[in-house]
Amino acid sequence: MSAELETTEPLVAPSLSTAQNEETFAFQKYAGSEHDRSSYLGPEYLNFDLNELVGKYYSVDKLVSYFEQNPKYTKITLQFPDSLVQDSSIVTKLLQQRLDNSVIVDTTVNQELNSESGDHNDKMTIRKFWVLADTAYSSCCVDEVASEHVNSQIVVHFGDSCLNSIQKLPVVYSFGNPYFELEKVVDNFLETYPDTNEKICIMADTPHTQHIMELYNVLKTKHYKNLLVAGINSDLANENVTLLDQSPSEVSLKKVLTLGNRVLLADDESIAFEDSSELQQDYHLFHITMPQDPRLLYLSTIFQSMSICDPQDGSVSQGPFPSLMKRYKYMHVARTAGCIGILVNTLSLRNTNETINKISQLIKNNGKKHYLFVVGKPNVAKLANFEPVDIWCVLGCGQSGIIIDQYNEFYKPIITPYELTMALSPEVTWTGKWIVDFKEALKDVEDELEESEVNVHSGDNQAAEGESNAPEFDAVTGRYVSNSRPLRDVTHLEIESPSDKQENSRSGSNELVKKFAGSIIIKGTVSTSASHLQNRQWTGLGSDFKNNEDHDEDGAIIEEGISGVARGYQFDRDNSKKN
Amino acid sequence: MVAFTVDQMRSLMDTVTNVRNMSVIAHVDHGKSTLTDSLVQRAGIISAAKAGEARFTDTRKDEQERGITIKSTAISLYSEMSEEDVKDIKQKTEGRAFLINLIDSPGHVDFSSEVTAALRVTDGALVVVDTIEGVCVQTETVLRQALGERIKPVVCINKVDRALLELQVSKEDLYQTFARTVESVNVIISTYADEVLGDVQVYPQRGTVAFGSGLHGWAFTIRQFANRYGKKFGVDKTKMMDRLWGDSFFNPKTKKWSSKDTDADGKPLERAFNMFVLDPIFRLFSAVMNFKKEEIPVLLEKLEIQLKGDEKDLEGKALLKVVMRKFLPAADALLEMIIMHLPSPVTAQEYRAEQLYEGPHDDPSCIAIKNCDPKADLMLYVSKMVPTSDKGRFYAFGRVFAGTVKSGQKVRIQGPNFVPGKKEDLFIKAIQRVVLMMGRFVEPIDDCPAGNIIGLVGIDQFLLKTGTLTTSETAYNMKVMKFSVSPVVQVAVEVKNANDLPKLVEGLKRLSKSDPCVLTYMSESGEHIVAGTGELHLEICLQDLENDHAGIPLKISPPVVAYRETVEGESSQTALSKSPNKHNRIYLKAEPIDEEVSLAIEGGKINPRDDFKARARVMADEFGWDVTDARKIWCFGPDGNGPNLVVDQTKAVQYLNEIKDSVVAAFQWATKEGPIFGEQMRSVRVNILDVTLHADAIHRGGGQIIPTMRRATYAGFLLAEPKIQEPVFLVEIQCPEQAVGGIYSVLNKKRGQVVSEEQRPGTPLFTVKAYLPVNESFGFTGELRQATGGQAFPQMVFDHWATLGTDPLDPTTKAGEIVAASRKRRGMKEEVPGWQEYYDKL
Repeated sequence: MSAELETTEPLVAPSLSTAQNEETFAFQKYAGSEHDRSSYLGPEYLNFDLNELVGKYYSVDKLVSYFEQNPKYTKITLQFPDSLVQDSSIVTKLLQQRLDNSVIVDTTVNQELNSESGDHNDKMTIRKFWVLADTAYSSCCVDEVASEHVNSQIVVHFGDSCLNSIQKLPVVYSFGNPYFELEKVVDNFLETYPDTNEKICIMADTPHTQHIMELYNVLKTKHYKNLLVAGINSDLANENVTLLDQSPSEVSLKKVLTLGNRVLLADDESIAFEDSSELQQDYHLFHITMPQDPRLLYLSTIFQSMSICDPQDGSVSQGPFPSLMKRYKYMHVARTAGCIGILVNTLSLRNTNETINKISQLIKNNGKKHYLFVVGKPNVAKLANFEPVDIWCVLGCGQSGIIIDQYNEFYKPIITPYELTMALSPEVTWTGKWIVDFKEALKDVEDELEESEVNVHSGDNQAAEGESNAPEFDAVTGRYVSNSRPLRDVTHLEIESPSDKQENSRSGSNELVKKFAGSIIIKGTVSTSASHLQNRQWTGLGSDFKNNEDHDEDGAIIEEGISGVARGYQFDRDNSKKN
Repeated sequence: MVAFTVDQMRSLMDTVTNVRNMSVIAHVDHGKSTLTDSLVQRAGIISAAKAGEARFTDTRKDEQERGITIKSTAISLYSEMSEEDVKDIKQKTEGRAFLINLIDSPGHVDFSSEVTAALRVTDGALVVVDTIEGVCVQTETVLRQALGERIKPVVCINKVDRALLELQVSKEDLYQTFARTVESVNVIISTYADEVLGDVQVYPQRGTVAFGSGLHGWAFTIRQFANRYGKKFGVDKTKMMDRLWGDSFFNPKTKKWSSKDTDADGKPLERAFNMFVLDPIFRLFSAVMNFKKEEIPVLLEKLEIQLKGDEKDLEGKALLKVVMRKFLPAADALLEMIIMHLPSPVTAQEYRAEQLYEGPHDDPSCIAIKNCDPKADLMLYVSKMVPTSDKGRFYAFGRVFAGTVKSGQKVRIQGPNFVPGKKEDLFIKAIQRVVLMMGRFVEPIDDCPAGNIIGLVGIDQFLLKTGTLTTSETAYNMKVMKFSVSPVVQVAVEVKNANDLPKLVEGLKRLSKSDPCVLTYMSESGEHIVAGTGELHLEICLQDLENDHAGIPLKISPPVVAYRETVEGESSQTALSKSPNKHNRIYLKAEPIDEEVSLAIEGGKINPRDDFKARARVMADEFGWDVTDARKIWCFGPDGNGPNLVVDQTKAVQYLNEIKDSVVAAFQWATKEGPIFGEQMRSVRVNILDVTLHADAIHRGGGQIIPTMRRATYAGFLLAEPKIQEPVFLVEIQCPEQAVGGIYSVLNKKRGQVVSEEQRPGTPLFTVKAYLPVNESFGFTGELRQATGGQAFPQMVFDHWATLGTDPLDPTTKAGEIVAASRKRRGMKEEVPGWQEYYDKL
């Protein structure tokens, strides 16, 4: 019916447009995709045997020998990031081919497992593989929860990784061994830094780190004197964590500084750093491949300047990068926010629960309201559904699990626990640092928590009875905000103006939201979302007509509607009887 | 020595009919503060000798140094009138004692907001005009503001001594100058006067115009001379007053009055004003200044002036000052004019109430204001914050409009965002102390009844700039003041030392409190911004911030200008955006709003808080809107009160009202940061033509609608010939003829457009008026001084937003350059996203 309308006036909306046709609800078609692997297997990969290439790329050999050495692992999950899922079948096939015939003899482990999973193979168990795709949280992290769904004993993580530690499962990291055009990158480097005395640090994502030494050696021959190389921090490897591709640890290089999952290496004995602040002053970063936004922001706070080199098309970009000043602004937003949404974007990272607990306590001590959300793959629409939330505090992986809203798409700003801690301190603080590691952030949270406990117990009750607390100055808008600490004003909220009550009784109160009036306190705690609902213009059925002059208070008389189920309503049955 | 006690003043406050609240307003350097001094001197606070030099109301150090008033200052004066004069007062009075609450305001255009704050709490205004310079741009601005607030003006034509001594004009020329000035004041008054006020034009013959010299401390009104001559001639005073102004001539031979300037024989007659009023003054001047020693005593005796011992030895100007001050004391003339012609709070609140109060006019609070009832519930408007000696604390300065305010009284403090029945911006707090503001000093008092101006201690931390204090639970807010100036010049401030950050934030808060107009906020990119009305205003603010409020060294960026984003046409096609889940669609078109409507919204004439039916009526009657459209305005934006509108033009869309809140939220967001370069939108009307919504509520929640409406608004905006607007100053420059050439060359260089160039009759002065983009105005004063040898001094006041004609999306044009530079500075992608970015195909 509306198809006709659409053909005659394709762009002007039909006047009664709430009509929806089939098409409105149709799923989008999945466009058939050609798997293009040239980005990591090299432009001419089609000329070679794909299985062999892929196997080499993921060091399947090493993986096989690892499992042969560790026969106790029989339930194995293979986790691929979205961009590499296309290879999962090949990798699984290779692993199965190479490991299938090797049977495990160790029976003690098996019995335990067999009883659990009901997978009966008596004394022999064949290794089982699961592929984890479409990770619920960030793809650089190990998805422990998903792999536990299949009672997996070990996770093999493919592709770029943040190497963040998880709760308990053992992990094998296979970064991949990407195709790398050394000359192109060297040319880019020479163009970006013509001065050979410049202090430069070379870094890459985990796959490309394998090639970083090649680059370093070439540059050395070009007389660059002050170079640092970032290698994978091999200290992270332990009995639970295995790195298949060891990063360059040339004997000639000395470790000068540890930066999270990287170590900075130099050949000059005299270089020594106490902390990263010296990098900020002198060192430029040359990063191969574009890091994810949170990582990019982190690196920009560490180094004086950054150049991002894309190894594929060989372009070098120098910005714009996410700016820390914007974070400063959001920190100020959080200072006067009344309601904070804690957005949990990870479940497997270590210290997640502690951080959540501590942060909620801290928020509570500051008289602010918080709600807890666990959201996988958060996006604009998901977060905008919760309008009463003034600011989000995201707990996620520092490499890609933190949302950096570079183009102001999100309705409310998103900050990190570290930034929230600064915002909740009584005095404005800003360190210029960007700490995303839970362990470090937790330390600050705890310090702040202690302080706030003291505050809660000692003072803040100075305001005499029946008097209000003073509003806070919001440096972002330049105004006073009266509802920045909703939990503190519980008594104040109970004051209800009599005019309110009058109005309520007069208007017959068939409105949903008005009923909340006076009961913003639900179950002994202030509900900021209830108070938000009170401020809505649309307050429920019937409120639409409030402003119409000819609105009839009585409304229509109730008529009996149709009954039955959709398969056959009552009138359908009646009709069929007649027929 | 204070000639009256606080107790005396306090008791006078109760007889509200004998209170006069008035502000002194004028163009810069027309002598407000000096004239105020002569009044203060009469009240006994400064010695007579120092009057004219001390500038009692300039309390700040930089005010004294720069010789300009920056902050308005209040002072209470006590005055007694003779029985005879009291009889002539046309409004209700009791007794002979009067209390005058006077506010001296700054004249520099950059500080107009101080004038606004002063006008709000006063009922009358003394408009000071320079005899030589005449009515200037700021005279007009403040007069317009005063009339807008329903404030009655009286005029004092100041610096008459300069006309006599420097220009040596003849009596008739001086009369003509006076007449012209009065006429131009009346032109402004009749243009802007509110009909409710009746005839508020000023007439010398009715005693609403005084002439004098603040510097020398003398002034007179026609009424005073009429008093003198009335007795002598035995003519009724009022008749005499009429004869002493205008085309009224006296024939000394026949002792007859005539309206022709020649007698029966055709001989010229002298104008009565010249003969009876100016003649004695001229004679005194010539006798004293030409050192005619013999003539002086004769004259003095005739005029009944007695000199004391050492005063007799004075000569020249010093003697002139003493003689004139004794002959025509300025305070007498001015006080008489103020008391007789300015309204008492009782008279004024009667007609001001409905304009001051946001709520319905039959509401008890409004009626209490109307009656100026000291026994009703308290209604008090805080118009500004005055710093105390205690750093960081402020007196809340305001006026009691109804009820009585007492120390220790618990009141409801209603901030500007308060809405009756809601809790936002509402605080309950006891007032610590009530004080009288007396220039540099304060005097604590117990309570203060309706109609008086007062300072309050202990509520400053609840209000940023202004607010309403009340004891009534049903009271609405008093209307928020609208400023004639706009903070369009901004700088970014940064601490030099990171540890000082808390002090900077605290300092910004205090700065924001201390000035009615300055804005402090944070830019999109996270810089602290201070926005002021002009370079001088910003300079003073930053100085205060650095030395006083924050007390730390600061890095200050060069000034930049705030722009606006707007549209010039209707969207070339319907903009359509789909929600993230593709189940909801919004169809809309953007179009420009007429400039008059935008101005009316910005000026508060069309107010989002008004009843929508009344508002629709105004929009239909005065601005030619379709009534249905006007009634279906969903919201104003940004901040819920800006000059951008969403109009619902849909027909029979189900569930539409359910998404209204989401649409409103999205529109606030979209208009706050436009798509071109993140500046606010202005004059954009968005017509929602149609909406498709999913039948399940969960699929049309805020998460689906808010981002979609924002995208749709952007798409519609970019399809409707987007343009940017820049702020434009009106510049007024007074200078001698030879400097005009220099002015033109500087203006040309700075994209200035000359509006008018006039010679002021009777003087060699030229007045050049021009429009100058604010962006080009930085350093304009300096360049002008250079080009004219220091003879031209500009006054610049924000006038309007001008649309740049060129395409802001094309980086090769002027507008495009501005956009590109700004985007770069903010770390945005350099290219403006096209409408396709926000548009979804059907």
